[in-house]
Amino acid sequence: MATRVERFDPSDVAAQPHRYFRRKYVWQWPIRAFHWVNAICILVLFATGLYIANPILSPTGEAYGNFVMGRVLQVHYTFAFIFIVNFLWRIYWFWMGNPYARSGFPFVWKASWWRDLFRQAGDYLALRRGHVHLGHNALGGLVYTLFVIFLGWAQILTGLAMYSESNPGGFWSGIAGWVIPLAGGSFQVRMWHYLFAWVFITFSIVHVYIVFYDGQQYKNGLVTSMISGVKFYQEGDIDCDNWIS
Amino acid sequence: MSLKPGMSTYDVLREHGVDRRTFLRFCTATAAAMGLDATMVPRVVEALENKPRIPVIWLHGLECTCCSESFIRSSHPITQDIIFNMISLDYDDTLQAAAGRQAEEIREALVRDHPGEYVLAVEGNAPTRDGGVYCTVGGRTFLDILQETAAKAKFVVAWGSCASNGCVQAAHPNPTGAKPVKDLISGKAVINVPGCPPIAEVMTGVLTYVLTFGRLPELDRFGRPKMFYGKRIHDKCYRRAYFDAGQFVETWDDDGAKKGWCLYKMGCRGPTTYNSCPTFKWNNGVSYPIQSGHGCLGCSEAGFWDNSSFYDRLTSIPVPGIEATPELIGKTLAVAAGVGVAAHFTSFMIKRGIGSKTENVEDGKD
Repeated sequence: MATRVERFDPSDVAAQPHRYFRRKYVWQWPIRAFHWVNAICILVLFATGLYIANPILSPTGEAYGNFVMGRVLQVHYTFAFIFIVNFLWRIYWFWMGNPYARSGFPFVWKASWWRDLFRQAGDYLALRRGHVHLGHNALGGLVYTLFVIFLGWAQILTGLAMYSESNPGGFWSGIAGWVIPLAGGSFQVRMWHYLFAWVFITFSIVHVYIVFYDGQQYKNGLVTSMISGVKFYQEGDIDCDNWIS
Repeated sequence: MSLKPGMSTYDVLREHGVDRRTFLRFCTATAAAMGLDATMVPRVVEALENKPRIPVIWLHGLECTCCSESFIRSSHPITQDIIFNMISLDYDDTLQAAAGRQAEEIREALVRDHPGEYVLAVEGNAPTRDGGVYCTVGGRTFLDILQETAAKAKFVVAWGSCASNGCVQAAHPNPTGAKPVKDLISGKAVINVPGCPPIAEVMTGVLTYVLTFGRLPELDRFGRPKMFYGKRIHDKCYRRAYFDAGQFVETWDDDGAKKGWCLYKMGCRGPTTYNSCPTFKWNNGVSYPIQSGHGCLGCSEAGFWDNSSFYDRLTSIPVPGIEATPELIGKTLAVAAGVGVAAHFTSFMIKRGIGSKTENVEDGKD
């Protein structure tokens, strides 16, 4: 591994700019599209979900003149299905995309992955500029696997299980109905779905902060990379294959 | 009475002086009660004319007899028709005239002489801890009697939530180790008819179905007859319009309660409960819990005693020793994340501030 440029030295930058200003197209458009559709879905699903759990609006007049809960459920279901299709699209692109689309996979059987995980956690805690990873770093990849992929499956399955309850034995019941006895009853399914929603929001808070912090600390254009697809790095930073292999 | 084994319902009715027109009317009403359309009436007539009445043994274990109380209030068909005409109720320690040794002999004789012919109806369940000593009948454990009787039964009908799901005696911490019937017997089809108690017309409807057609009704994944447990209370509720409108009762005496708005926020279990209450109602169709202004308790769902308070919308987290709602845990997580982020950001800004000051000093030196 080449030695990383330790300090941003203006005279060195002028002398050898190629060591400092490097850019690479990392996130292909399907990844970026997935990200923003996912973000919008999570926000809409969380907001509508909170209302469904605790409907605070109290419209007046006759029932036939109002459709508040019905509309909120309709929006929740619509965005839930967009979330699912988007989610499946991301899984498809895991296989079809460039290597960076697979860089978040937790390679738990590799020592290099574990080293990267602890090194990255240490860098974040000590406020150090470590290596820029062109793909995901091990810590980021692990967090996305747990809190987007696993949690996403949990929300999809508990959600579809509840969605299927109006037609037991129907299509959705066949797909997700097994979740209900597994959770110990449909009341427990609701409890988990609600709790997982808060875990999603907890993840989102940390995610948004870390992205801005990382972009600022590493000067890698992390925030804009999810719009343009381009990440910036210096000589000696890590391409995703370096630590995976 | 000159009721001989092998007599059909029609034979019995004729013996009682019932004319054929009344019999046909009875068949039509029975078909309607089972949710069958008019083309099925001849099937019912044929079955009740030809099939011998099925002997039924009705056992009572750990229970409160609310199932029997409900059963005897059935109006379509009336219980009298069921127990005197359609079935041959040979043993039921609550309803029968015989008592003591005489009663037990009837059951034993039936098990011995008619193996595989009788239907076993079980009300209540059996405690299993300490050898099942917490429920004994005639000096024997109920667990023993249940297993012996079930072994030779044609099939088993589990009355009520006790027999279907365990109900209150199996609720946490379940001191007697009570278990529902389906967990205590093997190799026999069990029809679960949950509810605390089940609706009278559902009970008689299930019996009528199996006696008419000689087979089990279509069951769902929990062993419940689909014709009575195929829809949620929520999906058949007459207050559903208020749910969709977003108009909810907030307190028991508010304006919404007086107007009959949705009881969702008062902990109503309608959205998680499968039963026929909105269809059949109770006491000959007079009313049912939601109609009387109280939320559904979800009494026909497994574990309904353990699902937090009857007035809570969400249950608490099943972590031993911690009494916390998902709302509290979720908000704590989010706030903790916010605090962590703020702490990290503050440290970062301080460090950067120190760094830039140092650089300025160095610049000044230059």
